[in-house]
Amino acid sequence: MAVQKSISEEDFRTFREFFYRKTGILFEDSKRYFVDKRLLDRMNATGSETFRGYFTMMRFQTSGEELQTLINSMTVNETYFFREEYQFRCLVDSVLEELVERRADDSSPIRIWSVPSASGEEAYGIAIYLLEYWPRIADLDVEIISSDIDTDILAQARRGRYGERSLQQLPLSLRNKYFHRDGDHYRVDDVLREAVDFTRANVTDAAEMRGYRNFDVIFCRNLLIYFDDLSRKQTAESFYDALNPGGFVCLGHSESMSRISSLFRVRKFPEAIVYQKPWEAR
Amino acid sequence: MALKKSQQTPADAKDERHLPRDLSGLLTALNAAEPMARRWAARDLAEHPEASAALVERMRIETEPSVTQVILTSLTRLGDEIAVAGLTDCLRSEDAMLRNAAIEAMKQLPDEVAPIMGQLLEDPDPDVRIFAVDVLESLRHPRVEDWLIRVIAEDPHVNVCATAVDLLGEIGSERAAATLRALKSRFADEPYIQFAADLALKRIGAD
Repeated sequence: MAVQKSISEEDFRTFREFFYRKTGILFEDSKRYFVDKRLLDRMNATGSETFRGYFTMMRFQTSGEELQTLINSMTVNETYFFREEYQFRCLVDSVLEELVERRADDSSPIRIWSVPSASGEEAYGIAIYLLEYWPRIADLDVEIISSDIDTDILAQARRGRYGERSLQQLPLSLRNKYFHRDGDHYRVDDVLREAVDFTRANVTDAAEMRGYRNFDVIFCRNLLIYFDDLSRKQTAESFYDALNPGGFVCLGHSESMSRISSLFRVRKFPEAIVYQKPWEAR
Repeated sequence: MALKKSQQTPADAKDERHLPRDLSGLLTALNAAEPMARRWAARDLAEHPEASAALVERMRIETEPSVTQVILTSLTRLGDEIAVAGLTDCLRSEDAMLRNAAIEAMKQLPDEVAPIMGQLLEDPDPDVRIFAVDVLESLRHPRVEDWLIRVIAEDPHVNVCATAVDLLGEIGSERAAATLRALKSRFADEPYIQFAADLALKRIGAD
């Protein structure tokens, strides 16, 4: 008779501590069912009879493949307009204000990089947020560049056509102002489509990253979590050189630059925690 | 003033380089006065397997932490014998940032670090042995438990054993149980060892 596989309280705690160290994601006790279910799925998929056997295999597997599969199964990958909106609020209320103050008479455009672009919700969302909630946009130029490794998704982003689900968090007034009905979808206004530059880029490729420079803010949310430690570190170092001194990196809510690299300063603004390249950096 | 399309394409920015990006140009740039030039050289040298020695050499004299970090990442990517020896040297450094970065880098190189792990765990300096156990924390290698069992069986230093026991509590199996009990006898007067070994035995399910 097959033995029923299970995750004990001790197993859950051991896994939780390890997963937090590796990814920065902390599962509360209330997530026990969610975690157990995915662990048991992976144990079944890998033919592991016990949690301990699976845990050891996953941690010390040379390829690191199972750890990556597990991370993917423990994270939810979806995007929509104004996702984690508090970071956009931080952008307009704190980050840009500090940058503008330090730039003084510098009239060059403020450059924002959104990566990965996915289907464009974040980049267009930033554009909408600036137009709506940052009055200084009337006096300053802002460039928004958005990149992705996937050329199909970039084409989709350039088209700017979205279903109801992508727009669920967007206030109706903004939906009406910046989108046009297109069958059962919504098409983003041409003003926004023409303002955002979509480019193909692989952030882990040092050669490709050479061209990405002089940014003031980088949004890189929920991407690094899918990378292994070395790629994460390499990407953080590329971001460092892609930023102007004093430039900021915004990561996803479960990601922490402190765990990846010590190059950046942690900045705790009222709205969010972001990471800054020191002003004195050379 | 408003949102505007970027005037600077990624291709434009590539032309900011002053030296050729071949091995010789990069090795020259690795010693440039500007830290940014050194960072870019160190980053690009990860594509040149013959660059490990130059990177290790630069790391020894580099004073700018951001350049050191990029050198460490490139050495990790290269991961050859010279690179691993350079990383291992950092375990003896007084600079905690460098030491920790080297530990993190070595964790990424299980196959390359494995042949020297035995030697590291027998190093005369107990701090180096502790750092070697720290490397084991995330070293993806099937012999991790064996190495840890050997540490708690043989190492004379209580702090080295304590570090190893903590880790065994997480990844040890029944195989470690007898040695954990023996460790308790070997350090009968050390309350932390008693506590940590008991916890490890409980986690392993052998208490």
